[in-house]
Amino acid sequence: MKIQDVIVMLNQIERDGVIKRYAIGGAVGATFYLEPVSTLDVDVFIAFKPQQESIIVSPTPIFDYLRGFGCKMEGEYIVISGWPVQFLPVSGPLLEEALDNGVEVDVEGEPARVLAAEYLAALALQTGRAKDKARLLQFIEAHALDRKKFEELVERHGLTDTWREFQRQFLQ
Amino acid sequence: MKNDFDFERIWKSKRALRQRLATAPIVEKLRMLDALHQRAVAIRGARFREVTAVQEKPGRYGDRKEKGSRLSTS
Repeated sequence: MKIQDVIVMLNQIERDGVIKRYAIGGAVGATFYLEPVSTLDVDVFIAFKPQQESIIVSPTPIFDYLRGFGCKMEGEYIVISGWPVQFLPVSGPLLEEALDNGVEVDVEGEPARVLAAEYLAALALQTGRAKDKARLLQFIEAHALDRKKFEELVERHGLTDTWREFQRQFLQ
Repeated sequence: MKNDFDFERIWKSKRALRQRLATAPIVEKLRMLDALHQRAVAIRGARFREVTAVQEKPGRYGDRKEKGSRLSTS
């Protein structure tokens, strides 16, 4: 079980043109900025090439491609090197912008594209489950955010009230 | 028996550990993630033996007002 093998495979999927671009999000993405926390799966946000875009986005080409490498399907997940990976097409302006602004991190010579910290935090605020709120608190406590950039994102994407409520609940 | 827990010192030490982990080289953090994942799989596996891959309820990413365009297998 090696997350680095997942990164290698993601780069290969992109290189071979099955997807246009990817960026790792969720708890695995957050690990690039925070202390590691236990997680069960890998969230990978993806954009398709323009000709692949349609009303119903199908994961079939990705799954077919990965099956060729011996990866197995498990419900909505495909298992790569022991990690259940979920491919999530970007939907909504915040995610689209987050994917466009993904950052590349060198992992022993292999580039890994990850959502930027401020976008991970804004997405956590938007998603709003208990674990997302906990993650946002981690980002704040670890001083892992450019607060100005984060608050601009919050405002631009209509999350000001949610942010105000979060601050009232957890930061006052 | 004297209770000499110094909670201030304990919290300080915990914060320092978390900070040390957060700033560890990414390769080291990814190895820790692998180890944590294996442990989570073992714990969940004991509870849900019929499922071979562990799953958690995915977050509803994207704009709340829009229908999420989750991948469709249909």
